[in-house]
Amino acid sequence: MAYQLYRNTTLGNSLQESLDELIQTQQITPQLALQVLLQFDKAINTALANRVRNRVNFKGSLNTYRFCDNVWTFVLNDVEFREVTDLVKVDKVKIVACDGKSSDYFSHSSLIIRPRLFLTQ
Amino acid sequence: MASSANSNPVPKLYRSVIEDVINEVRELFLDEGVDEQVLMELKTLWENKLMQSKAVEGFHTEEQAALQAAAHQQAQQAQQATQQAQAQQVLLPPQQQVTSWQSTRPTVTSAPQQQVIVQDPKILQHMSATGMSAAATAATLALPTGVSPYHQLITSQGNLSQNCYIKTADGQILQFVRAANGAQYIIQPQQQMVLQQQVLPQMQPGGVQAPVIQQVLAPLQGGHPQQTGVIIQPQQIVLTGNKVQQNAQVMQMPGQPGQVQQIQQQVQQVQQAQGGAAPGPPQQQAKQQPPMMLQVDGAGDTSSEDEDEEEEEYDEDEDEDKDKDGGEDGQVEEEPLNSEDDVSDEEDQELFDTENVVVCQYDKIHRSKNKWKFHLKDGIMNLNGRDYVFSKAIGDAEW
Repeated sequence: MAYQLYRNTTLGNSLQESLDELIQTQQITPQLALQVLLQFDKAINTALANRVRNRVNFKGSLNTYRFCDNVWTFVLNDVEFREVTDLVKVDKVKIVACDGKSSDYFSHSSLIIRPRLFLTQ
Repeated sequence: MASSANSNPVPKLYRSVIEDVINEVRELFLDEGVDEQVLMELKTLWENKLMQSKAVEGFHTEEQAALQAAAHQQAQQAQQATQQAQAQQVLLPPQQQVTSWQSTRPTVTSAPQQQVIVQDPKILQHMSATGMSAAATAATLALPTGVSPYHQLITSQGNLSQNCYIKTADGQILQFVRAANGAQYIIQPQQQMVLQQQVLPQMQPGGVQAPVIQQVLAPLQGGHPQQTGVIIQPQQIVLTGNKVQQNAQVMQMPGQPGQVQQIQQQVQQVQQAQGGAAPGPPQQQAKQQPPMMLQVDGAGDTSSEDEDEEEEEYDEDEDEDKDKDGGEDGQVEEEPLNSEDDVSDEEDQELFDTENVVVCQYDKIHRSKNKWKFHLKDGIMNLNGRDYVFSKAIGDAEW
């Protein structure tokens, strides 16, 4: 199961909105929409891994950081994103990053209850 | 197509993802017994939204369907024509919709209505400078200048009803209502026009849906005697017959009994009301309008003294809890919305309200004292409203 991380992107959101519209008019079932989204997750993960080949550098100041459930969330300020071709500056950016090493078994957005062992003796 | 290092990889990537997804889910759709038509519709909706978002430039490649390009061009032509002639070209997009619908013969009656929903915001977006139609016989969709479409789709009780709200630059709310029968109306309180687009419904086997006509009359304040307060653009989409009837004039309605008569009666009422138009009744009628409107986007246009008081109390509690500086109290009355925000000042940056987001995976995150190093991969960025992608990203930041 691939990361559901990319659903909150322009591509992912437009897909979700389109699916919602079809659900509203009852042209598809919510179950089917979910299947489509899962397929989207696979497709976007594959596409990013295989079809994109460019590097970006960025520099800024770190405002906040958070590491929870193996997901890093950063908020940076006054950041410059530099690619070979061009430069983009933003005042504030949020970076959400899932673990790139393990292929995701639990999706980023799912709740994972981690068992804690209480040693009673 | 020559691909150079400078070409933007995003449109190609997105397009390939869309193709992959659509092809993969085709089987799923068939398994569920959903028509291929719906799949195509999903694809169309998806692509349209991407184009509308303007987050991707050059998204519309040459390879894509000529149908979309043609519809788009004709919509653009409609814009230009309306801006120039202030006339009837707006009918074109709906007409195009009609022809495309007819050609595809959708089996689901809700399908054409959906396309209208998609198209109409486009029309509204592009209708920037159209003034009022001078000709009474011109079927125009005229919006006041400076309309910035702001639509929320709120499904009402009926499955096929949607309400769109358009907020003009003045802050007035235009209610763009799609009633259950498919008729569309734009209600402008306090403005001159009542705009109607009627999609006369099919004679469905399930029964005839009587048109629900909500007419809110606000005759012109100034003297525009030639302008009828009601400009009706009936768009009759007859799926079983190959008729596309566009009537510029109100009184010339196609011959569908019953419904047309009702419409005609009300139109006559409108015209009569306009004949005796005086500042008084319009205002009264205008006053009648607010109860019909559901203002969903927050009461920003009325005086907000009461709200300020509430905000103040609320804010004081917040301050006590958070031990913030007292400086923010002074801001409460001015901008109740912004007052509790955290330290960062600006909300509107770079003309966009977009929160710049990067969604990616991390290879390694390293920290030394307060120096952080980021090694990221496979990311999609939305910066200043535009989309970018990367396979690797390396960053430095100081905390």
